[in-house]
Amino acid sequence: MFDGLVQRLAAIVGPDHVTTAPGDLSNYQYDGSADSALPQVVVMPGSAEEVTAIVSACTAAGCPYVARGAGTGLSGGAVAEAGGAVIAMARLNRILEIDCANRLAIVEPGVVNAHISDAVRAHGLQFVPDPSSQAVCTIGGNLAENSGGLHCLAYGVTSHHVLGCEIVTPDGELVWLGGRAYDAPGYDLLGVFIGSEGTLGIATKVVVKLMPLQEDRRTLLAAFPTVEQASGAVSAIIASGIIPAALEMMDQLSTKAVEAYVNAGFPTDAGAVVIVELEGLRGTLEELVQDVQRICIAHGSREVRQARDEAERERIWLGRKSAFGAMGRLGSSYYVQDGVIPRTKLPEVVSEVAAIAERYGLLIANVFHAGDGNLHPLIVFDERTPGDYERTVAAGADILRACVRHGGSISGEHGIGIEKRDCMTLQFKAADLDLMARLRAAFNPRGLCNPGKLFPTSRRCGESARTVARGALAPEMVDAAGPAF
Amino acid sequence: MRRSSELRALNIPIADELAKRSGSRPRVRPAECEPYAVAGVVPTLVFSPRTVAEASKIVTALAAEGASIAIRGAGTKSYRPPHPHALDVVLESSRCAGISNYTPADLTMTVAAGTPLHVVQETLRPYGQFFPVDPPFAAQTTIGGTLSAGSAGALRQRYGAPRDNVLGMRVCLGDGAIAFTGARVVKSVAGYDIPKLFVGASGTLGFIGEVTLKVAPLPRCEAGVAATFVRCEEACEAARRIAASPLLPMATTLHDGHTRRHIRALGSSSQPWTLLVRCGGSRSAVLRQQEGVIASMRACGAATIETLDADRLHFCWQDVVEAAGGAAYPADRTLVLAIGSLPTQVADVCASITALLPAAEITAHPATGIVYAHVPWPGAGDPSAPHERRLAERAARSLLEQFSAQGHHVKVLSAPVELGTLVAPLSQSAPVALMRRVKAALDPNGTFDPGRFVAGI
Repeated sequence: MFDGLVQRLAAIVGPDHVTTAPGDLSNYQYDGSADSALPQVVVMPGSAEEVTAIVSACTAAGCPYVARGAGTGLSGGAVAEAGGAVIAMARLNRILEIDCANRLAIVEPGVVNAHISDAVRAHGLQFVPDPSSQAVCTIGGNLAENSGGLHCLAYGVTSHHVLGCEIVTPDGELVWLGGRAYDAPGYDLLGVFIGSEGTLGIATKVVVKLMPLQEDRRTLLAAFPTVEQASGAVSAIIASGIIPAALEMMDQLSTKAVEAYVNAGFPTDAGAVVIVELEGLRGTLEELVQDVQRICIAHGSREVRQARDEAERERIWLGRKSAFGAMGRLGSSYYVQDGVIPRTKLPEVVSEVAAIAERYGLLIANVFHAGDGNLHPLIVFDERTPGDYERTVAAGADILRACVRHGGSISGEHGIGIEKRDCMTLQFKAADLDLMARLRAAFNPRGLCNPGKLFPTSRRCGESARTVARGALAPEMVDAAGPAF
Repeated sequence: MRRSSELRALNIPIADELAKRSGSRPRVRPAECEPYAVAGVVPTLVFSPRTVAEASKIVTALAAEGASIAIRGAGTKSYRPPHPHALDVVLESSRCAGISNYTPADLTMTVAAGTPLHVVQETLRPYGQFFPVDPPFAAQTTIGGTLSAGSAGALRQRYGAPRDNVLGMRVCLGDGAIAFTGARVVKSVAGYDIPKLFVGASGTLGFIGEVTLKVAPLPRCEAGVAATFVRCEEACEAARRIAASPLLPMATTLHDGHTRRHIRALGSSSQPWTLLVRCGGSRSAVLRQQEGVIASMRACGAATIETLDADRLHFCWQDVVEAAGGAAYPADRTLVLAIGSLPTQVADVCASITALLPAAEITAHPATGIVYAHVPWPGAGDPSAPHERRLAERAARSLLEQFSAQGHHVKVLSAPVELGTLVAPLSQSAPVALMRRVKAALDPNGTFDPGRFVAGI
């Protein structure tokens, strides 16, 4: 298959940077999702020109290819489902330029997200998108998935923080979308490229915006008797004109699991807790803190606690970030769902999720990026129990149906990839999907660039599961990397 | 493709036939069509669909006739070059208006594209919210026109551009297909982010029927600071310091002596440059912002500094956005350039403009690197000084070439009829082939304004 391609790839990148050894290939079969597939070859380019040559060689051979960053994606975007080549971008990991005066940096796609902020912190700047996997995930993957993060409520997601990128098109052309400055002439191809899950080309350089670091922040933890009351407080905070840097919610099942796991100091007798983080200039946050406290109390909060120091703040966030790992306390495996609803519909959708849990006889814990209506129901199951996983996937699909019925979306940040492609028809009609297909064909006419992703197959939403979900993560893995929730 | 003259010769029977097929009766008489002229070219037919479904019927029927269609909102940007040679049909959006959904606590609003921007703002204001854009012609423009032009104002500094505040859209493509794209919630990564493609496409990819916007809370308090400077670079340096600080003001604008004249609340100044900063947030945050802004201005050598209370700031801002943003300049007698550069290049860009086109009036957004030049141009019928006009045209062309060669993003936003072919050269690395394929994919027959986008698309 793909006669002579491996030799040609070796000629492009050097023999040390191509592998077909089964042991090596198996390291590239997974991302953070339940899906896996073995590529036939893994190639590691060291320059944009090499990426161009690789894409041209694959195209000439009719070989499908998929670019891969750190493999932390949660929807199968970097899984080489059709076989072919994985183009691993890890060697393209240089920060090429930092321009503080113009608040931008130019980086290669394999640069780790957190390394950008690390490099500019001394200048009082930061790269804002902060997916929870930021210690390992790469900027190329962030671009592909349009990653968010806990602080995207106030500052926006990846597409708001990228000025331009150099890409290799599936035709093997090296072009710039956007640039260093704003308002490049022509269509906003950068806008559609970001979040296209690697199906429209491969980024080789990225111009990111840098934002000033904030002077001060306050972190509040409010406990509510019920999820409904907590939701009411969340909507009231937003309606009052306060956009916190982060606004998170967890239900009782989540807080109990977390407390048993890391002891974050969450009240386990509360129906829900809300975490509010406010950022701004020193000496100006007290007014907002008092407003948030007043709103929470008016909505039935029994206790609003403000973190007194950085250690207490970190403990609160550790609790929130450990929610996924803590599910291991409740069952052998869990499945993270990702859906979005208008935030005012939270109480209705939460009770629908509870009804779904009951109908399928499954345990579902809820953590929310409540500020933007992004739900992460965690469905706990036992993969050794026959039929448990199938019921889990079916319950997850029902949750997505509820999100769409309330005017929402089937993914807020994890992407469609393989995992949700058959659920696209819940949200989009044939003509809507046709528009997307036209766009893909304009960029990727032969369909070799990350095939099979994002578009529905002939299966129904909720029955596309091919493999068993990965088991619960060990605590040390959560701390080191953390799933990108 | 059918020529305009043919359509015109047949316009009455075709109009009848199209009315039957689309359910919508066009304007056909030249006098009726004249108000919809694009750069002085009067269309043969004008349709006013009420919905995207009606637009689809019209587009489908017209595409079968091989007609070309120009989409029009309030017509504030109809002198964008290249100007059309002939115009078959204008599809105008004034009847496709109204707000269909607004839930303040969701920070989203769904609105028909022909709705005037000021109507959107007036609907939001009682709830303490606004759509955080302040494009040129803010008092006249429609939502669809603002998005199609992709025009961002100085509020981009804190709130992002229109592209960043559009969540979903219902569009009619060049073959009449209706599609929804994006989402109606504030966060979604389901499918391609195609709404961004329509923002800034100047109506060449499809007709935008309905848009879901992400709105923002109005700051609790606002106040401003205005300073004058002898040197442009000093003002730009102050703007950069402010933008790199944690102060996060809402917006910063820079004015030369000409554009300052349009800002009535500021009065006259003997200094050549004025820097205006709009602060917003809680009361204590606004005070801190003002202090920090004043300190930066002083450190950079401001000649005079004055603070503005909220009322005076808003009065200033209205003039910044409306008069200086375009309304003060007659479209048929003004050349308008927009240059996207880096914040550190703004002073050089301003100097280059003034050197080659001394009559240019400059407004800049120094924190985001955008410079606007409005160049008064004698009318086409003006017999005075044809030689000078030729020199000025040559100067404008060489300015565009110089900026493109320096890597700036250059656009000619508006030009008088005699400069109707003036467009900025594209850089070598611009993805022209991709843009052509995107156009062909969404508008396969080249129905929407053929030849009037970049690179002759």
